[in-house]
Amino acid sequence: MHLPDGFLAPQLALALWVATAAIVGFALRRLSASSDEASAAQRPILMGIVGAFIFAAQLFNFPVAAGTSGHLLGGVLAGYLLGPWAGTIVMTTVIGIQALIFQDGGLLALGANIFNMGIIGTLGGALVARSIATALGGSRVATIAAAGAAGWLSVMAGAGVTTLQLGLSGTTDVSIGLPAMLGIHALIGIGEGLITIAALTFIATTAPDLLTLGAPTRASATRRILVGSGISLLVAALAALFASADPDGLQRVALTLGFHTAANTPPFELFPGYTIPGIDSATGTLLIAVVGVGIIFTAILLLSRIAARRGRQ
Amino acid sequence: MARVPGQVDARATVIAALAFILAVALMPAGAYAAMAAAWLLVATAGALRGIAPLTLARRGGIVFPFVLAALPLIFIRSDEVIWEGLVGPFSLHVSGVGLRIALSALLKAWISVQASIVLVATADAPTIVVALRRMRLPDAIATSAGLTIRYLELLRDEAQRMLRARAARSVSPVGVGGERVGGSIAWRARTTGNLVGSLFLRAYARAARVEEAALSRGATGSLSTGSLPTADRYLGVKVVAAVTLLLALSAFGQVVPRL
Repeated sequence: MHLPDGFLAPQLALALWVATAAIVGFALRRLSASSDEASAAQRPILMGIVGAFIFAAQLFNFPVAAGTSGHLLGGVLAGYLLGPWAGTIVMTTVIGIQALIFQDGGLLALGANIFNMGIIGTLGGALVARSIATALGGSRVATIAAAGAAGWLSVMAGAGVTTLQLGLSGTTDVSIGLPAMLGIHALIGIGEGLITIAALTFIATTAPDLLTLGAPTRASATRRILVGSGISLLVAALAALFASADPDGLQRVALTLGFHTAANTPPFELFPGYTIPGIDSATGTLLIAVVGVGIIFTAILLLSRIAARRGRQ
Repeated sequence: MARVPGQVDARATVIAALAFILAVALMPAGAYAAMAAAWLLVATAGALRGIAPLTLARRGGIVFPFVLAALPLIFIRSDEVIWEGLVGPFSLHVSGVGLRIALSALLKAWISVQASIVLVATADAPTIVVALRRMRLPDAIATSAGLTIRYLELLRDEAQRMLRARAARSVSPVGVGGERVGGSIAWRARTTGNLVGSLFLRAYARAARVEEAALSRGATGSLSTGSLPTADRYLGVKVVAAVTLLLALSAFGQVVPRL
Protein backbone atom coordinates (compact mmCIF):
# COMPACT_ATOMS: atom_id res chain seq x y z
CA MET A 1 0.00 0.00 0.00
CA HIS A 2 3.02 2.32 0.26
CA LEU A 3 3.01 3.94 -3.18
CA PRO A 4 6.50 4.41 -4.63
CA ASP A 5 7.43 7.48 -6.68
CA GLY A 6 6.79 7.31 -10.41
CA PHE A 7 3.29 5.85 -10.34
CA LEU A 8 1.44 9.02 -9.36
CA ALA A 9 1.04 12.00 -11.67
CA PRO A 10 3.24 14.73 -10.13
CA GLN A 11 0.33 17.20 -10.11
CA LEU A 12 -1.77 14.76 -8.07
CA ALA A 13 1.14 13.95 -5.77
CA LEU A 14 1.72 17.66 -5.07
CA ALA A 15 -2.00 18.29 -4.53
CA LEU A 16 -2.11 15.46 -1.99
CA TRP A 17 0.98 16.89 -0.27
CA VAL A 18 -0.87 20.19 0.14
CA ALA A 19 -4.03 18.47 1.44
CA THR A 20 -1.98 16.32 3.82
CA ALA A 21 0.00 19.30 5.13
CA ALA A 22 -3.22 21.23 5.76
CA ILE A 23 -4.90 18.39 7.65
CA VAL A 24 -1.80 17.45 9.65
CA GLY A 25 -1.36 21.14 10.46
CA PHE A 26 -4.94 21.18 11.71
CA ALA A 27 -4.26 18.08 13.82
CA LEU A 28 -1.18 19.76 15.32
CA ARG A 29 -3.26 22.80 16.16
CA ARG A 30 -5.94 20.68 17.78
CA LEU A 31 -3.24 18.89 19.73
CA SER A 32 -1.58 22.00 21.10
CA ALA A 33 -4.98 23.49 21.91
CA SER A 34 -5.89 20.68 24.30
CA SER A 35 -4.71 21.52 27.81
CA ASP A 36 -5.73 18.27 29.48
CA GLU A 37 -2.71 17.13 31.53
CA ALA A 38 -3.43 13.43 31.02
CA SER A 39 -3.94 13.66 27.26
CA ALA A 40 -1.39 12.34 24.80
CA ALA A 41 -0.84 15.87 23.48
CA GLN A 42 1.13 16.85 26.54
CA ARG A 43 3.31 13.77 26.28
CA PRO A 44 5.69 13.97 23.31
CA ILE A 45 7.81 11.11 24.65
CA LEU A 46 4.78 8.84 24.74
CA MET A 47 3.95 9.77 21.13
CA GLY A 48 7.49 9.04 19.97
CA ILE A 49 7.67 5.66 21.67
CA VAL A 50 4.18 4.69 20.48
CA GLY A 51 5.46 5.50 16.97
CA ALA A 52 8.23 2.95 17.46
CA PHE A 53 5.59 0.54 18.80
CA ILE A 54 3.50 0.90 15.62
CA PHE A 55 6.62 0.15 13.57
CA ALA A 56 7.32 -2.97 15.61
CA ALA A 57 3.66 -4.04 15.67
CA GLN A 58 3.64 -4.07 11.86
CA LEU A 59 6.02 -7.02 12.14
CA PHE A 60 3.29 -9.11 13.70
CA ASN A 61 2.13 -11.06 10.75
CA PHE A 62 -0.87 -13.20 11.10
CA PRO A 63 -0.89 -16.56 9.31
CA VAL A 64 -4.11 -16.86 7.35
CA ALA A 65 -3.23 -20.02 5.45
CA ALA A 66 0.01 -21.68 4.43
CA GLY A 67 2.07 -19.15 2.52
CA THR A 68 -0.14 -16.12 2.99
CA SER A 69 -0.30 -13.82 5.94
CA GLY A 70 -1.82 -10.47 6.71
CA HIS A 71 -0.04 -7.98 8.89
CA LEU A 72 -1.17 -5.18 11.11
CA LEU A 73 -1.14 -1.60 9.81
CA GLY A 74 -2.15 -0.17 13.16
CA GLY A 75 -3.80 3.03 11.97
CA VAL A 76 -7.03 2.66 13.91
CA LEU A 77 -5.15 1.16 16.87
CA ALA A 78 -2.94 4.27 17.09
CA GLY A 79 -5.94 6.56 16.76
CA TYR A 80 -7.69 4.64 19.48
CA LEU A 81 -4.85 4.49 21.97
CA LEU A 82 -3.79 8.15 21.59
CA GLY A 83 -6.90 9.85 20.26
CA PRO A 84 -7.46 10.79 16.61
CA TRP A 85 -5.23 13.88 16.54
CA ALA A 86 -2.19 12.53 18.35
CA GLY A 87 -2.66 9.23 16.52
CA THR A 88 -2.59 11.05 13.18
CA ILE A 89 0.65 12.80 14.10
CA VAL A 90 2.20 9.49 15.16
CA MET A 91 1.15 7.73 11.93
CA THR A 92 2.41 10.69 9.87
CA THR A 93 5.76 10.30 11.58
CA VAL A 94 5.83 6.53 11.10
CA ILE A 95 4.96 6.72 7.39
CA GLY A 96 7.48 9.54 6.92
CA ILE A 97 10.27 7.51 8.54
CA GLN A 98 9.33 4.46 6.47
CA ALA A 99 9.70 6.53 3.30
CA LEU A 100 12.80 8.52 4.26
CA ILE A 101 14.83 5.80 5.92
CA PHE A 102 13.51 2.45 4.71
CA GLN A 103 12.44 3.43 1.16
CA ASP A 104 9.01 2.00 1.94
CA GLY A 105 7.01 4.41 -0.22
CA GLY A 106 8.24 7.33 -2.28
CA LEU A 107 9.11 10.87 -1.16
CA LEU A 108 6.98 12.72 -3.71
CA ALA A 109 4.28 10.12 -3.03
CA LEU A 110 4.69 10.60 0.73
CA GLY A 111 1.86 13.12 0.85
CA ALA A 112 -0.41 10.57 -0.81
CA ASN A 113 0.75 7.76 1.48
CA ILE A 114 0.17 9.83 4.63
CA PHE A 115 -3.21 10.83 3.22
CA ASN A 116 -4.24 7.25 2.42
CA MET A 117 -2.98 5.58 5.58
CA GLY A 118 -2.48 8.26 8.21
CA ILE A 119 -5.39 10.56 7.51
CA ILE A 120 -7.99 8.19 6.06
CA GLY A 121 -6.77 5.27 8.18
CA THR A 122 -6.10 6.89 11.53
CA LEU A 123 -8.00 10.16 11.63
CA GLY A 124 -10.92 8.87 9.56
CA GLY A 125 -10.75 5.43 11.18
CA ALA A 126 -10.73 6.75 14.75
CA LEU A 127 -13.54 9.21 14.05
CA VAL A 128 -15.63 6.51 12.33
CA ALA A 129 -14.90 4.15 15.24
CA ARG A 130 -16.23 6.75 17.67
CA SER A 131 -19.35 7.34 15.61
CA ILE A 132 -20.05 3.60 15.42
CA ALA A 133 -19.35 3.16 19.15
CA THR A 134 -21.74 5.99 20.01
CA ALA A 135 -24.37 4.51 17.71
CA LEU A 136 -23.98 1.11 19.40
CA GLY A 137 -24.51 2.60 22.85
CA GLY A 138 -20.95 3.31 23.95
CA SER A 139 -20.34 0.26 26.14
CA ARG A 140 -16.84 -1.20 26.32
CA VAL A 141 -17.73 -4.13 24.07
CA ALA A 142 -19.37 -1.77 21.58
CA THR A 143 -16.32 0.50 21.60
CA ILE A 144 -13.93 -2.33 20.87
CA ALA A 145 -16.17 -3.88 18.21
CA ALA A 146 -16.43 -0.44 16.58
CA ALA A 147 -12.62 -0.24 16.48
CA GLY A 148 -12.54 -3.60 14.71
CA ALA A 149 -15.11 -2.47 12.15
CA ALA A 150 -13.21 0.78 11.61
CA GLY A 151 -10.00 -1.22 11.20
CA TRP A 152 -11.56 -3.20 8.35
CA LEU A 153 -13.00 -0.04 6.80
CA SER A 154 -9.69 1.83 7.04
CA VAL A 155 -7.90 -0.89 5.08
CA MET A 156 -10.64 -0.98 2.43
CA ALA A 157 -10.82 2.82 2.12
CA GLY A 158 -7.03 3.11 1.94
CA ALA A 159 -6.81 0.48 -0.80
CA GLY A 160 -9.73 1.98 -2.72
CA VAL A 161 -8.41 5.53 -2.60
CA THR A 162 -4.91 4.38 -3.57
CA THR A 163 -6.32 2.63 -6.63
CA LEU A 164 -8.35 5.70 -7.58
CA GLN A 165 -5.23 7.86 -7.32
CA LEU A 166 -3.38 5.45 -9.60
CA GLY A 167 -6.35 5.53 -11.98
CA LEU A 168 -6.34 9.34 -12.03
CA SER A 169 -2.62 9.22 -12.77
CA GLY A 170 -3.24 6.86 -15.67
CA THR A 171 -1.01 4.11 -14.29
CA THR A 172 -3.69 1.55 -13.58
CA ASP A 173 -6.97 0.43 -15.04
CA VAL A 174 -9.58 1.20 -12.42
CA SER A 175 -12.13 -1.26 -13.81
CA ILE A 176 -9.70 -4.13 -13.12
CA GLY A 177 -7.60 -2.62 -10.33
CA LEU A 178 -10.42 -1.55 -8.02
CA PRO A 179 -12.20 -4.91 -7.72
CA ALA A 180 -8.84 -6.67 -7.40
CA MET A 181 -7.51 -4.34 -4.70
CA LEU A 182 -10.77 -4.26 -2.75
CA GLY A 183 -11.09 -8.03 -3.02
CA ILE A 184 -7.64 -8.68 -1.60
CA HIS A 185 -7.96 -6.00 1.05
CA ALA A 186 -11.35 -7.26 2.21
CA LEU A 187 -9.38 -10.27 3.51
CA ILE A 188 -6.40 -8.26 4.79
CA GLY A 189 -8.89 -5.95 6.50
CA ILE A 190 -10.43 -8.86 8.39
CA GLY A 191 -6.99 -9.61 9.83
CA GLU A 192 -6.55 -5.94 10.74
CA GLY A 193 -9.98 -5.77 12.39
CA LEU A 194 -9.53 -9.00 14.39
CA ILE A 195 -6.04 -8.05 15.60
CA THR A 196 -7.24 -4.56 16.56
CA ILE A 197 -10.12 -6.08 18.55
CA ALA A 198 -7.86 -8.61 20.27
CA ALA A 199 -5.17 -6.03 21.11
CA LEU A 200 -7.71 -3.57 22.56
CA THR A 201 -9.41 -6.36 24.54
CA PHE A 202 -6.05 -7.37 25.96
CA ILE A 203 -5.21 -3.78 26.93
CA ALA A 204 -8.71 -3.16 28.33
CA THR A 205 -8.39 -6.27 30.52
CA THR A 206 -4.82 -5.70 31.66
CA ALA A 207 -4.71 -1.93 32.03
CA PRO A 208 -8.22 -0.48 31.64
CA ASP A 209 -7.18 3.05 32.61
CA LEU A 210 -4.93 3.37 29.53
CA LEU A 211 -7.86 3.25 27.15
CA THR A 212 -9.11 6.59 28.45
CA LEU A 213 -6.09 8.29 26.83
CA GLY A 214 -7.88 8.71 23.54
CA ALA A 215 -11.35 9.08 25.04
CA PRO A 216 -13.45 11.84 23.51
CA THR A 217 -13.71 15.01 25.55
CA ARG A 218 -16.69 16.37 23.68
CA ALA A 219 -18.17 15.88 20.25
CA SER A 220 -17.50 19.27 18.67
CA ALA A 221 -19.24 20.55 15.58
CA THR A 222 -15.91 20.55 13.71
CA ARG A 223 -15.43 16.89 14.42
CA ARG A 224 -18.87 16.02 13.16
CA ILE A 225 -18.29 18.12 10.04
CA LEU A 226 -14.95 16.41 9.46
CA VAL A 227 -16.52 12.96 9.75
CA GLY A 228 -19.34 14.03 7.48
CA SER A 229 -17.02 15.45 4.80
CA GLY A 230 -14.77 12.39 4.93
CA ILE A 231 -17.63 9.97 4.51
CA SER A 232 -19.30 12.06 1.81
CA LEU A 233 -15.99 12.31 -0.07
CA LEU A 234 -15.72 8.53 -0.09
CA VAL A 235 -19.33 7.99 -1.10
CA ALA A 236 -19.15 10.66 -3.81
CA ALA A 237 -15.94 9.21 -5.18
CA LEU A 238 -17.25 5.66 -5.30
CA ALA A 239 -20.64 6.69 -6.65
CA ALA A 240 -19.09 8.78 -9.40
CA LEU A 241 -16.85 5.92 -10.36
CA PHE A 242 -19.58 3.33 -10.68
CA ALA A 243 -22.48 5.51 -11.79
CA SER A 244 -21.68 6.95 -15.19
CA ALA A 245 -20.59 4.86 -18.13
CA ASP A 246 -21.87 7.03 -20.98
CA PRO A 247 -19.75 9.83 -22.48
CA ASP A 248 -21.40 12.50 -20.46
CA GLY A 249 -20.43 15.29 -18.13
CA LEU A 250 -16.97 16.72 -18.37
CA GLN A 251 -16.17 15.07 -21.66
CA ARG A 252 -19.22 16.45 -23.42
CA VAL A 253 -18.34 19.88 -22.06
CA ALA A 254 -14.82 19.41 -23.37
CA LEU A 255 -16.14 18.44 -26.81
CA THR A 256 -18.46 21.43 -26.94
CA LEU A 257 -15.82 23.90 -25.88
CA GLY A 258 -13.17 22.48 -28.15
CA PHE A 259 -10.94 21.39 -25.28
CA HIS A 260 -11.02 17.93 -26.75
CA THR A 261 -8.32 18.62 -29.33
CA ALA A 262 -6.37 20.71 -26.87
CA ALA A 263 -6.48 17.85 -24.42
CA ASN A 264 -5.01 15.48 -26.96
CA THR A 265 -1.83 17.46 -27.45
CA PRO A 266 -0.89 18.79 -24.04
CA PRO A 267 2.64 20.00 -23.23
CA PHE A 268 2.38 17.49 -20.42
CA GLU A 269 -0.78 15.73 -19.46
CA LEU A 270 -2.57 17.15 -16.43
CA PHE A 271 -4.11 13.82 -15.53
CA PRO A 272 -2.93 11.24 -18.05
CA GLY A 273 -5.72 8.88 -16.94
CA TYR A 274 -8.20 11.30 -18.41
CA THR A 275 -7.72 9.74 -21.81
CA ILE A 276 -8.32 6.09 -20.86
CA PRO A 277 -11.12 4.88 -23.12
CA GLY A 278 -14.23 3.68 -21.33
CA ILE A 279 -13.64 5.37 -18.03
CA ASP A 280 -12.93 8.95 -19.03
CA SER A 281 -16.39 10.17 -18.14
CA ALA A 282 -16.22 8.36 -14.81
CA THR A 283 -12.81 9.86 -14.15
CA GLY A 284 -14.11 13.29 -15.05
CA THR A 285 -17.07 12.99 -12.73
CA LEU A 286 -14.77 11.64 -10.06
CA LEU A 287 -12.45 14.59 -10.50
CA ILE A 288 -15.33 17.02 -10.13
CA ALA A 289 -16.60 15.18 -7.04
CA VAL A 290 -13.17 15.20 -5.40
CA VAL A 291 -12.48 18.84 -6.24
CA GLY A 292 -15.96 19.84 -5.05
CA VAL A 293 -15.71 18.07 -1.73
CA GLY A 294 -12.17 19.43 -1.38
CA ILE A 295 -13.39 23.01 -1.83
CA ILE A 296 -16.20 22.49 0.66
CA PHE A 297 -13.80 20.87 3.10
CA THR A 298 -11.33 23.77 2.84
CA ALA A 299 -14.11 26.31 3.19
CA ILE A 300 -15.41 24.59 6.32
CA LEU A 301 -11.94 24.52 7.88
CA LEU A 302 -11.31 28.20 7.05
CA LEU A 303 -14.73 29.28 8.27
CA SER A 304 -14.37 27.29 11.51
CA ARG A 305 -11.08 29.04 12.18
CA ILE A 306 -12.58 32.45 11.53
CA ALA A 307 -15.52 31.56 13.75
CA ALA A 308 -13.22 30.37 16.54
CA ARG A 309 -11.21 33.60 16.35
CA ARG A 310 -14.34 35.72 16.40
CA GLY A 311 -15.71 33.74 19.34
CA ARG A 312 -12.60 34.39 21.39
CA GLN A 313 -12.75 38.17 20.97
CA MET B 1 32.58 15.74 6.27
CA ALA B 2 32.26 15.36 10.03
CA ARG B 3 30.20 12.26 10.75
CA VAL B 4 28.72 13.14 14.13
CA PRO B 5 24.98 12.36 13.87
CA GLY B 6 22.89 15.47 13.69
CA GLN B 7 25.91 17.76 13.49
CA VAL B 8 25.93 18.20 9.71
CA ASP B 9 23.62 20.55 7.86
CA ALA B 10 21.95 18.20 5.39
CA ARG B 11 19.40 20.63 4.04
CA ALA B 12 21.05 20.90 0.63
CA THR B 13 21.10 17.08 0.28
CA VAL B 14 17.43 16.75 1.26
CA ILE B 15 16.34 19.52 -1.13
CA ALA B 16 18.42 18.09 -3.98
CA ALA B 17 16.93 14.60 -3.47
CA LEU B 18 13.37 15.93 -3.45
CA ALA B 19 13.99 18.11 -6.52
CA PHE B 20 15.52 15.14 -8.32
CA ILE B 21 12.51 12.93 -7.60
CA LEU B 22 10.16 15.70 -8.76
CA ALA B 23 12.16 16.13 -11.98
CA VAL B 24 11.93 12.39 -12.64
CA ALA B 25 8.20 12.36 -11.92
CA LEU B 26 7.65 15.19 -14.42
CA MET B 27 9.26 13.21 -17.26
CA PRO B 28 6.67 12.17 -19.83
CA ALA B 29 6.07 8.49 -20.51
CA GLY B 30 8.49 7.20 -23.10
CA ALA B 31 11.25 9.77 -22.48
CA TYR B 32 13.73 6.95 -21.90
CA ALA B 33 16.79 9.03 -22.81
CA ALA B 34 15.98 11.52 -20.06
CA MET B 35 15.40 8.66 -17.62
CA ALA B 36 18.78 7.22 -18.55
CA ALA B 37 20.36 10.62 -17.85
CA ALA B 38 18.60 10.73 -14.47
CA TRP B 39 19.82 7.25 -13.67
CA LEU B 40 23.36 8.28 -14.62
CA LEU B 41 23.09 11.21 -12.21
CA VAL B 42 21.87 9.13 -9.29
CA ALA B 43 24.36 6.35 -10.01
CA THR B 44 27.16 8.93 -10.00
CA ALA B 45 25.97 10.35 -6.68
CA GLY B 46 25.78 6.80 -5.31
CA ALA B 47 29.24 5.94 -6.56
CA LEU B 48 30.62 9.08 -4.89
CA ARG B 49 29.17 7.76 -1.62
CA GLY B 50 30.75 4.39 -2.24
CA ILE B 51 27.70 2.48 -3.46
CA ALA B 52 28.32 0.42 -6.59
CA PRO B 53 25.72 1.10 -9.32
CA LEU B 54 24.66 -2.54 -9.48
CA THR B 55 24.20 -2.73 -5.71
CA LEU B 56 22.14 0.44 -5.92
CA ALA B 57 20.11 -0.97 -8.81
CA ARG B 58 19.48 -4.23 -6.95
CA ARG B 59 18.37 -2.44 -3.78
CA GLY B 60 16.09 -0.28 -5.91
CA GLY B 61 14.40 -3.48 -7.06
CA ILE B 62 12.07 -3.34 -4.05
CA VAL B 63 9.67 -1.29 -6.20
CA PHE B 64 9.37 -3.94 -8.92
CA PRO B 65 6.29 -5.71 -7.50
CA PHE B 66 4.42 -2.45 -7.90
CA VAL B 67 4.39 -2.81 -11.67
CA LEU B 68 1.46 -5.20 -11.11
CA ALA B 69 -0.72 -2.09 -10.73
CA ALA B 70 0.14 -0.90 -14.24
CA LEU B 71 0.27 -4.32 -15.92
CA PRO B 72 -3.41 -4.53 -16.94
CA LEU B 73 -3.00 -1.35 -19.01
CA ILE B 74 -0.81 -3.24 -21.47
CA PHE B 75 -3.69 -5.55 -22.37
CA ILE B 76 -6.65 -3.23 -21.72
CA ARG B 77 -5.74 -0.18 -23.75
CA SER B 78 -6.72 -0.50 -27.36
CA ASP B 79 -4.50 2.23 -28.85
CA GLU B 80 -1.34 1.45 -30.81
CA VAL B 81 -1.80 -2.32 -30.85
CA ILE B 82 1.62 -3.81 -31.48
CA TRP B 83 0.76 -7.50 -31.09
CA GLU B 84 -2.44 -9.45 -31.32
CA GLY B 85 -3.06 -13.15 -30.99
CA LEU B 86 -4.53 -16.07 -29.14
CA VAL B 87 -3.09 -17.28 -25.85
CA GLY B 88 -4.91 -20.52 -25.15
CA PRO B 89 -8.61 -19.75 -25.22
CA PHE B 90 -8.07 -16.00 -24.77
CA SER B 91 -7.58 -13.46 -27.51
CA LEU B 92 -4.99 -10.95 -26.35
CA HIS B 93 -3.52 -7.73 -27.66
CA VAL B 94 -0.58 -5.68 -26.45
CA SER B 95 -0.98 -1.91 -26.50
CA GLY B 96 2.09 0.16 -27.19
CA VAL B 97 0.70 3.02 -25.12
CA GLY B 98 -0.03 0.72 -22.17
CA LEU B 99 3.42 -0.81 -22.42
CA ARG B 100 5.01 2.65 -22.47
CA ILE B 101 3.05 3.81 -19.41
CA ALA B 102 3.84 0.68 -17.40
CA LEU B 103 7.52 0.66 -18.30
CA SER B 104 7.92 4.41 -17.66
CA ALA B 105 6.23 4.19 -14.24
CA LEU B 106 8.44 1.27 -13.29
CA LEU B 107 11.63 3.04 -14.41
CA LYS B 108 10.68 6.27 -12.64
CA ALA B 109 9.90 4.41 -9.42
CA TRP B 110 13.15 2.49 -9.67
CA ILE B 111 15.28 5.63 -10.31
CA SER B 112 13.50 7.59 -7.55
CA VAL B 113 13.99 4.91 -4.91
CA GLN B 114 17.70 4.83 -5.75
CA ALA B 115 17.79 8.57 -5.02
CA SER B 116 16.24 7.88 -1.59
CA ILE B 117 18.83 5.18 -0.94
CA VAL B 118 21.65 7.60 -1.80
CA LEU B 119 20.07 10.25 0.44
CA VAL B 120 20.07 7.89 3.44
CA ALA B 121 23.64 6.83 2.66
CA THR B 122 24.68 10.50 2.62
CA ALA B 123 22.94 11.63 5.79
CA ASP B 124 21.87 9.34 8.64
CA ALA B 125 18.39 9.42 10.14
CA PRO B 126 19.01 11.92 13.00
CA THR B 127 20.82 14.24 10.58
CA ILE B 128 17.85 14.18 8.20
CA VAL B 129 15.46 14.92 11.08
CA VAL B 130 17.62 17.87 12.15
CA ALA B 131 17.69 19.14 8.54
CA LEU B 132 13.91 18.85 8.30
CA ARG B 133 13.57 20.67 11.62
CA ARG B 134 15.62 23.52 10.19
CA MET B 135 13.28 23.47 7.22
CA ARG B 136 10.43 24.24 9.62
CA LEU B 137 9.09 20.75 10.17
CA PRO B 138 6.69 21.24 13.11
CA ASP B 139 8.35 20.57 16.45
CA ALA B 140 5.81 17.94 17.56
CA ILE B 141 6.55 15.85 14.47
CA ALA B 142 10.33 16.33 14.68
CA THR B 143 10.37 15.34 18.36
CA SER B 144 8.11 12.36 17.72
CA ALA B 145 10.21 11.26 14.74
CA GLY B 146 13.47 11.57 16.68
CA LEU B 147 12.15 9.44 19.52
CA THR B 148 10.61 6.91 17.16
CA ILE B 149 13.97 6.44 15.45
CA ARG B 150 15.69 6.17 18.81
CA TYR B 151 13.39 3.43 20.14
CA LEU B 152 12.78 1.64 16.85
CA GLU B 153 15.48 -1.02 17.20
CA LEU B 154 14.61 -1.69 20.80
CA LEU B 155 10.92 -2.33 20.21
CA ARG B 156 11.63 -4.25 17.02
CA ASP B 157 13.90 -6.61 18.94
CA GLU B 158 11.19 -6.99 21.54
CA ALA B 159 8.63 -7.79 18.82
CA GLN B 160 10.99 -10.27 17.18
CA ARG B 161 11.50 -12.08 20.48
CA MET B 162 7.74 -12.33 20.91
CA LEU B 163 7.34 -13.64 17.36
CA ARG B 164 10.02 -16.27 17.93
CA ALA B 165 8.31 -17.36 21.12
CA ARG B 166 5.01 -17.55 19.29
CA ALA B 167 6.48 -19.62 16.47
CA ALA B 168 8.07 -21.97 19.00
CA ARG B 169 4.89 -22.50 20.99
CA SER B 170 1.72 -21.98 19.09
CA VAL B 171 0.88 -20.25 15.85
CA SER B 172 2.57 -21.32 12.69
CA PRO B 173 0.83 -21.63 9.35
CA VAL B 174 2.41 -24.96 8.55
CA GLY B 175 3.77 -27.56 10.93
CA VAL B 176 6.91 -29.62 10.47
CA GLY B 177 5.08 -32.39 8.66
CA GLY B 178 3.03 -29.98 6.56
CA GLU B 179 -0.01 -30.13 8.83
CA ARG B 180 -1.69 -26.97 10.03
CA VAL B 181 -0.73 -25.98 13.55
CA GLY B 182 -2.69 -23.81 15.90
CA GLY B 183 -6.39 -23.08 16.14
CA SER B 184 -8.90 -21.40 13.89
CA ILE B 185 -8.22 -18.12 12.14
CA ALA B 186 -10.06 -16.23 14.89
CA TRP B 187 -7.90 -17.96 17.48
CA ARG B 188 -4.72 -17.10 15.60
CA ALA B 189 -5.82 -13.49 15.22
CA ARG B 190 -6.54 -13.30 18.94
CA THR B 191 -3.11 -14.70 19.79
CA THR B 192 -1.46 -12.11 17.54
CA GLY B 193 -3.64 -9.36 18.99
CA ASN B 194 -2.59 -10.34 22.51
CA LEU B 195 1.05 -9.98 21.48
CA VAL B 196 0.33 -6.54 19.98
CA GLY B 197 -1.48 -5.54 23.18
CA SER B 198 1.30 -6.68 25.45
CA LEU B 199 3.92 -4.98 23.27
CA PHE B 200 1.92 -1.77 23.63
CA LEU B 201 1.85 -2.13 27.41
CA ARG B 202 5.62 -2.62 27.46
CA ALA B 203 6.11 0.41 25.20
CA TYR B 204 3.79 2.43 27.41
CA ALA B 205 5.63 1.43 30.59
CA ARG B 206 8.90 2.42 28.96
CA ALA B 207 7.46 5.75 27.83
CA ALA B 208 6.25 6.46 31.37
CA ARG B 209 9.70 5.67 32.75
CA VAL B 210 11.51 7.80 30.17
CA GLU B 211 9.03 10.62 30.79
CA GLU B 212 9.67 10.56 34.52
CA ALA B 213 13.41 10.60 33.99
CA ALA B 214 13.16 13.44 31.47
CA LEU B 215 10.86 15.52 33.68
CA SER B 216 13.10 15.06 36.69
CA ARG B 217 15.94 16.55 34.67
CA GLY B 218 13.95 19.55 33.57
CA ALA B 219 12.78 18.52 30.11
CA THR B 220 10.26 20.84 28.51
CA GLY B 221 8.73 18.45 26.01
CA SER B 222 10.89 19.06 22.96
CA LEU B 223 13.68 16.73 21.98
CA SER B 224 17.22 18.03 21.43
CA THR B 225 16.80 21.63 22.48
CA GLY B 226 20.58 21.74 22.28
CA SER B 227 22.36 23.60 19.54
CA LEU B 228 21.51 22.83 15.96
CA PRO B 229 24.49 22.24 13.67
CA THR B 230 26.17 25.24 12.18
CA ALA B 231 24.45 26.29 9.00
CA ASP B 232 25.91 25.27 5.67
CA ARG B 233 27.52 28.47 4.36
CA TYR B 234 27.12 27.39 0.76
CA LEU B 235 23.50 26.25 1.15
CA GLY B 236 22.16 28.86 -1.29
CA VAL B 237 24.78 28.05 -3.93
CA LYS B 238 24.22 24.29 -3.60
CA VAL B 239 20.45 24.58 -3.83
CA VAL B 240 20.61 26.86 -6.88
CA ALA B 241 23.10 24.50 -8.55
CA ALA B 242 20.95 21.44 -7.81
CA VAL B 243 17.73 23.07 -8.97
CA THR B 244 19.38 24.37 -12.16
CA LEU B 245 20.72 20.93 -12.99
CA LEU B 246 17.34 19.35 -12.36
CA LEU B 247 15.49 21.99 -14.37
CA ALA B 248 17.82 21.13 -17.24
CA LEU B 249 17.07 17.45 -16.69
CA SER B 250 13.34 18.14 -16.66
CA ALA B 251 13.55 20.26 -19.82
CA PHE B 252 15.57 17.50 -21.48
CA GLY B 253 12.75 15.11 -20.56
CA GLN B 254 10.24 17.36 -22.35
CA VAL B 255 12.17 17.71 -25.62
CA VAL B 256 13.78 14.30 -25.94
CA PRO B 257 12.17 12.08 -28.61
CA ARG B 258 9.78 9.60 -27.02
CA LEU B 259 9.77 5.98 -27.96
